[in-house]
Amino acid sequence: MALIAYREALNQALREEMRRDPDVFLMGEEVGAYQGAYKISQGLLEEFGEWRVRDVPIAELGFTGLGVGAAMVGLRPVIEFMTWSFALLAIDGIVNAAAKMRYMSGGQFKIPITFRGPSGAANQLAATHSQALEAWYAHVPGLKVVAPATARDAKGLLKTAIRDDDPVVFLEGEILYATKDEVPEDDEFLLPLGVAEVKRPGKDVTVVAHSRPLHTALRAAETLEREDGISVEVIDPRTLRPMDVDSILDSVRRTNRCVIVEEGWPVCGIGAQIVDDIQREAFDFLDAPIARVTGADAPQPYARNLEQLAFPQAEYVVRAVRQVCYRG
Amino acid sequence: MRRYHAFDPPEYVDWSPDPETMLEFSRAIERDPERARRIADLTAQRRLEIYAGLLRFRLHDIALKRWVRQGVISKAWLGTGEEATTIGPVHALERGGPNGDVVGPMIRNAGACHEMGMPVADMLRGYLATEDSPNRGRDLHVGGRRYGIVTPISMVGALAAVIAGYGLGFRKLGTKRLALTWVGDGATKAGEVHEAFNLAATQRLPVIFIIQNNQVALGTRLEEHHAADGFAELGRLYGATGAPFDGNNVLDAYAATHWAAEICRAGEGPVFLAAETFRMSGHATHDEKEARELFSEEEFASWGRRDPIGCYGAWLVNGRLNLETGAQCEPGAATGVNSAALEEVEARVTEEVESAAAEALAGRARMPRPESAVEGVYGTWPESGRQEKDRF
Ligand SMILES: Cc1ncc(C[n+]2csc(CCOP(=O)(O)OP(=O)(O)O)c2C)c(N)n1
Ligand SMILES: [Mg+2]
Repeated sequence: MALIAYREALNQALREEMRRDPDVFLMGEEVGAYQGAYKISQGLLEEFGEWRVRDVPIAELGFTGLGVGAAMVGLRPVIEFMTWSFALLAIDGIVNAAAKMRYMSGGQFKIPITFRGPSGAANQLAATHSQALEAWYAHVPGLKVVAPATARDAKGLLKTAIRDDDPVVFLEGEILYATKDEVPEDDEFLLPLGVAEVKRPGKDVTVVAHSRPLHTALRAAETLEREDGISVEVIDPRTLRPMDVDSILDSVRRTNRCVIVEEGWPVCGIGAQIVDDIQREAFDFLDAPIARVTGADAPQPYARNLEQLAFPQAEYVVRAVRQVCYRG
Repeated sequence: MRRYHAFDPPEYVDWSPDPETMLEFSRAIERDPERARRIADLTAQRRLEIYAGLLRFRLHDIALKRWVRQGVISKAWLGTGEEATTIGPVHALERGGPNGDVVGPMIRNAGACHEMGMPVADMLRGYLATEDSPNRGRDLHVGGRRYGIVTPISMVGALAAVIAGYGLGFRKLGTKRLALTWVGDGATKAGEVHEAFNLAATQRLPVIFIIQNNQVALGTRLEEHHAADGFAELGRLYGATGAPFDGNNVLDAYAATHWAAEICRAGEGPVFLAAETFRMSGHATHDEKEARELFSEEEFASWGRRDPIGCYGAWLVNGRLNLETGAQCEPGAATGVNSAALEEVEARVTEEVESAAAEALAGRARMPRPESAVEGVYGTWPESGRQEKDRF
């Protein structure tokens, strides 16, 4: 174990997988000579050379297609988007080429590709650069969607994503890059896709949160414990598609109350899907309507005070938990 | 002109006109008689306004750099060294506010805003995100409809298509207005840009695309992302008119755009102008060091000698026009008066930008109301539609 930053954990995952399998290569804007816009690929060009760490022009749609083609040849591309907001320009390649090729070809082609990059609001990058669009990708059959909240999960899940034979959308928390965590140094440290983790055990309320809001939820849980004596169980699905619904249901059946937190917009969000799963399968266990805490239903504002308000704050989570407990 | 040791690129600090570079500057504006004529037509006053525009841009950037140093803002995107590619073209447009020409500035073209009429204080308020900023703190790129400035979209390439749409609108409405945007060398690689170019060309839209080749896209040198030979041929390849200009020569930039505007107003657009220039700073204030490592000392030195403001100033001082009387004179016969005229402009613009910065900063505490975060997303919203409430 070593205490390392989320950024470093991703770098290790890439490095280890590239060492292990010569078919793995990284491609994206500024990934090579510049060492990554967010320095995730630090040192990789030096170690692996320019054919395995490919700098490409500002052509998101084009290099997504290139990645799909290379995957069809048998390689294992890792495509970096400078941010997931720029992947909006590549969405046709992700949704139509990557996600559907296996199905459309009757299984003749597999597309072992990983799309990765920073997602969500960072510091005042405003409307077009701060989006949390995981619900869009989770909507698409053919994509697997991963959104780790900690350095440990980031490493274990990225390694698994790269080895996976299907397209994986891997959303890193831009604001989490500097956060640290104990991470195994083992080359074979792999975390399975589709498995949630209870990040804090509790008995009164289940709070479901992924990526940055996980940390918000954990802070809220401490406050609730201290101020209200409410014991909050915090569970991180980590993978949004496939979603480990059983683990969430299991928790809700024990706590009988649930709050779902996400940074994305409320309408048709990840939480909406989870609500649906819970009400169909654990309706009789619920003691209160499920509450959701989401990003504000507006483009992400630039002003710092508005930006703060627009994404889930610990106090919103505290309020929602009290509400489902009929307190306060 | 005053240099700023703490903020200027090192090449600018002890800048003085290099004879060979100045010769090149003069040749660039005399090469094409069409352009030379347009430049000759510029009155002393307009020449000084162009000078003021260049300075305003440089000083606006320095004000931002100062704020970054002081921790007022975390980061700024600058146009240092590339001012002429923005200022020359804007001065060639019809700047009539809501009924004039329209520009779509990208990150290197902030100077277009003030030259289209937006007060520098408003531009700076944009960065501070205060309630009184032109976009009410919603985004860090500012536009101003009443000045004919499209609010930038930060995805590079998106504005090229939107500006082509302005051209379509202007044409359909039967106006003589035109729209202009700058497309970075890096942005030319975005698919949307190609679509925009072709759509403008096939529909003969009144649009000027300026390819702003500053030899770099973020941390990628031109030759890494562009295999062809420059951008001068672009217009022809799309079946439209095109021409290069010297991006560090504000007069060449002005004259080329003036010519292009005529073509557009005659219904013969679009026009593709290819500007060669150089980014003297980082992509933004956070990566100055990386940017200095991307190019050799010689490259910086050579482009440094071509400081667009220094060169233009030197040309004006030694030129054939007495800037005070507006009368023709022998080259170099009015250096004294001309220097004085430039100093006067500089003093005025320096004071303008300094007070703009002070004014913007004074309103720093006036942040947007919390509820405004979710306001203004739509023009109308039916009563029957649910709305998020209780957030604040
Ligand atoms: C579609 C898209 N991809 C990536 C980015 C991130 N980005 C911002 S500016 C920039 C470089 C642009 O280079 P260029 O067009 O040459 O303009 P310059 O910065 O040199 O003025 C990049 C990659 C973006 N804004 N939009
Ligand atoms: Mg460029």
